[in-house]
Amino acid sequence: MSPEYSDELRKKIDEVVGRYPKKEAALLPVLHLVQGEVGCISAEEEKFVAQILGLKPMKVREVVTFYTMITRQPLGKYHIQVCSNLSCTLLGAGRLIDYLKQKLGIGIGETRPDKKFTLSVVECLGACEQAPCMMVNFDYYGQLDKSRIDQILDSLT
Amino acid sequence: MEEKVLTQKFDLRSLFEIGSYLQQGGYKAVEKALLGMKPAEVMEEVKKASLRGRGGAGFPAGVKWSFVPQKVDKPKYLCVNADEGEPGTFKDRYIMGHNPHLLLEGIIIASYAVGIHSAFIYIRGEYEAIAQRLEGAIAEAYKKAYLGKNILGTNFDLEVVVHRGAGAYICGEETALLESLEGKRGHPRLKPPFPASIGLFQCPTVINNVETLSNVPFIILNGAEWFLKKGLPKDGGTRLFGVSGMVKKPGIYELPLGTNLKKIIFEYAGGMREGKRLKAVIPGGMSAPILRADEIDLPMDFDSLVGANSMLGSAAIIVIDQETSILEVLKAVVKFYSHESCGQCTPCRIGTSWINKIVERIGHGDGEKDDIDTIIRLASNIKGKTLCPLGDAAAMPILSVCQKFRGELEGYLPR
Amino acid sequence: MAKIFIDHQAIEVSDGLTVLRAAEEAGIHIPHFCYHPAFVPEGSCRMCLVEIEGLPKLELSCSTVVKEGMKVHTKSAKVVEARQGVLEFLLAEHPLDCPICDKAGECQLQDYYEEYGLFESQFKESKQKREKKVRISKNLILDRERCILCTRCVRFLNEITRTEDAGVLNRGIHSEISIYDSDLIENNYSGNLAELCPVGAITDADFRFKTRAWFLERKESICPLCGRGCNIVIDSHPGFPRVNMTQRVYRIRARKNPDVNAHWICDFGRYSYAYMDEKRQEKLVMKKGGRDMGLSWDKTVIMLAEKIKGLLFMKKLSRIAVILNTWLSNEELFLADRIFRNELHLENIFVVDPPQGKTDGFLLTNERTPNKRGLQEIGLPASAPDLKELAEKTDLLLIFGSFLVDEFNVTDIKNAFDKIGTKALFASHKSSLDSLVDIIIPTLLIAEKSGTLTNIQGKVQAFSPALDFGGEGLPEWRALLDLAKELKINYKYFWQLASPELVLQQMGKEIPFFIK
Repeated sequence: MSPEYSDELRKKIDEVVGRYPKKEAALLPVLHLVQGEVGCISAEEEKFVAQILGLKPMKVREVVTFYTMITRQPLGKYHIQVCSNLSCTLLGAGRLIDYLKQKLGIGIGETRPDKKFTLSVVECLGACEQAPCMMVNFDYYGQLDKSRIDQILDSLT
Repeated sequence: MEEKVLTQKFDLRSLFEIGSYLQQGGYKAVEKALLGMKPAEVMEEVKKASLRGRGGAGFPAGVKWSFVPQKVDKPKYLCVNADEGEPGTFKDRYIMGHNPHLLLEGIIIASYAVGIHSAFIYIRGEYEAIAQRLEGAIAEAYKKAYLGKNILGTNFDLEVVVHRGAGAYICGEETALLESLEGKRGHPRLKPPFPASIGLFQCPTVINNVETLSNVPFIILNGAEWFLKKGLPKDGGTRLFGVSGMVKKPGIYELPLGTNLKKIIFEYAGGMREGKRLKAVIPGGMSAPILRADEIDLPMDFDSLVGANSMLGSAAIIVIDQETSILEVLKAVVKFYSHESCGQCTPCRIGTSWINKIVERIGHGDGEKDDIDTIIRLASNIKGKTLCPLGDAAAMPILSVCQKFRGELEGYLPR
Repeated sequence: MAKIFIDHQAIEVSDGLTVLRAAEEAGIHIPHFCYHPAFVPEGSCRMCLVEIEGLPKLELSCSTVVKEGMKVHTKSAKVVEARQGVLEFLLAEHPLDCPICDKAGECQLQDYYEEYGLFESQFKESKQKREKKVRISKNLILDRERCILCTRCVRFLNEITRTEDAGVLNRGIHSEISIYDSDLIENNYSGNLAELCPVGAITDADFRFKTRAWFLERKESICPLCGRGCNIVIDSHPGFPRVNMTQRVYRIRARKNPDVNAHWICDFGRYSYAYMDEKRQEKLVMKKGGRDMGLSWDKTVIMLAEKIKGLLFMKKLSRIAVILNTWLSNEELFLADRIFRNELHLENIFVVDPPQGKTDGFLLTNERTPNKRGLQEIGLPASAPDLKELAEKTDLLLIFGSFLVDEFNVTDIKNAFDKIGTKALFASHKSSLDSLVDIIIPTLLIAEKSGTLTNIQGKVQAFSPALDFGGEGLPEWRALLDLAKELKINYKYFWQLASPELVLQQMGKEIPFFIK
């Protein structure tokens, strides 16, 4: 059973591919688009993308597994990515990570059974002036403490 | 108060909209360059201004541009390095978020100088909001004919594409950036050949940092001499110093090159947070060797920091307090580099991981007497022996922490 | 040309050479893993770092091009330290598999450690655990713990076969070589991967656990299975305990020849060596009254000569027919031509070869014999006989090779042979032809004798014995020479052609193609 990819997605892909002198160069942008619609890049998506760009699926998988923001498994609705780099660690990121693990009831890299949250630890997000920070999907949250985290989690419906 | 250059208008919240930007005198530099100067003149001005790269390596931008062969029957490319992965660094996010048109102006002028008609902004995947802001600005610029065909009625064309990364620090290294832009794993390439001759899609390519390019409009508008006066005789302009860590006022401080580090931390950034004392400072992003509290009374410029056995790098200042264990600092450093190693070459792939394992073991209380010596030996076998600068970027901070804070580290080991 | 110094030794090298190649030409080996002459330099193993005077850092010899006056040091203290550093890193995450690893004895990691390492391990951590038995092709198994990520395998499949079957997944210490799910590598060159791998990460199931590399005798030869004539090495057991007491050959490996097969051989050639040991003709037999009688070659050649002389006397030379094949060497085909066509004026000289196959577009040719071109250059006719016709006009049939059973069915052969007085078969292998002939003379394989072959490109390649044969076989060139001597035809001419080398020399005098 091969999954259906929406016409809108295909259109966006065509548009993006057209921006590059070589089709293969559009691989990362296309993976972002497909992951945005499907939620992850499984073998089906690899073959779909490979076929569009004229690549071997192996080449697509090489790229998928190299970059941390491309995921092979589906994630929760909200992917909570907490920075664990130096400035954030200096300002208590470690304690916040523990707090999140306890509050969400999951470990690092795990998804809650109701599929609402996935918890990850990431490297420097480039928002060190707001340390400690986290990124939820693509939204940045900084100057975190336990009550801010509570607020943010409550607002994520 | 120091006079700002780059960030002078950043308080204006609507600055990212082209209407506001034009009102503030935006795109005058593009007009001056394209309508009043020859490409060679633009390049010469930037060379005279001694604009050194603000990504970390500090290579003079005008000189880099001049390495691209003039007449060649291949397209030339400009890649804007907006990958900003160096821990502690957030200045490019700041520029692109507040004033994307300033960057676009720099891109247009640089492309004009070198004869480039296609530019890619390689922006880290995490900066999605910024990427959207950039794309909005680009669309506005196309509408007003500052991009596209026949810019300002000249025969100069330029297309700009925003290309998102996907979470790999190594893609901030210029040749890995090219590989990633070509749709591959971010594996750095051997140099030579250099990107100026064989770069993106095997064509001559210039790669410049966001802050570097954002200075170009000011050089064109006000001249090289003016720019030099803003900084030092050999290093023109200001830097956006990004201060983070245990300070009262973390943030971006645009100051002349040469400003004293102690002053930046204790005056501009408000000094240590309540009740904290200074232990150490990383002056130029995590790859810069650490400075002890008694070593920070120095000017923040390329040469002075080299003289102090460190580097200006991305001018990202991370302030570490006495209560933080130096082991935690070391842990963050080795964890980062082992996670970000691309895995291509032996010393970095295995060395960063091995050191990470040792430090983790020490952190669990299972340290051994000769662990620090081993770490120093391994880091020395990485330094200078790897395919790309990430090896040095890992080895140097590790070596500096082990050498300057050896006593404290050995406190975690059995006698 | 450029004059450079390597370890204080002045050498002249061609422009554009890398330091590593220049050193190789001067007989100085610079250790390396990822570099391979067939691929673009990768520069990732960092083992080939050398010191170049005037440059601050150590430089890669595999990708640095020589410059006039360059002074290179391959053994300085800095270089030794760097090499040991690389070895230490590799060994830190390498499993202690030597006792069970097939590569032991021919492993670059072992060899370099013995020469440049010899240090104690300082690694106190846990090694990365990875999969150890990943099947990547029908024959090949990948052990990810042993892999040093030199990526030669990936690059071979990208740059040589262009099938892009393998790649590197993940990042950093988690990097691993992989194929795509269960899409096994399925091309005719996969076997080269096990040779290419500098360590025991890729091993060949065909060779697995059968023997130890140091028990093998390695001799050069030419692959006879098609018209390419790939240069090979035959690894055999000279006498030590063997898996199967009759098996001599354990492995075929590629031998470099830039003009013929570069660094590769095809899987067909690599894995088809069992024929060298199986179903061999071991005894010279004559069939008399339904029984097999052993006979010596000396007596046999006299008997054959008598038969020929008899027919000559009765002016019935035309009743002699010869079937040749193109597994025969240049020398053997030349002798056959000179004896049968030149001296005896026989007209019924035929060639029966094994059937053609499909070329793979690279090395493997359509023709599945090694010397078709040789036959052409010598000028022998190349057609197969009409069996019925042959049966009517032949009293003595000399058959070289048993390929008749590939071309015709056994019943037809039997019917034809029943009408032919004497059939003498010169063959290396047993076949269904055996019960249909009168005399069987065992012959040697190309791997067991000397001579030359002409490949499809017209390249004349020499070969010499790589194996001993325990049976009674003899090379066809000796059989033909003995026959000529026994027939006493053109005494002076044939007497001085006492060896394949002398035959080749004579060929050069008579046929311009074979001038050295």
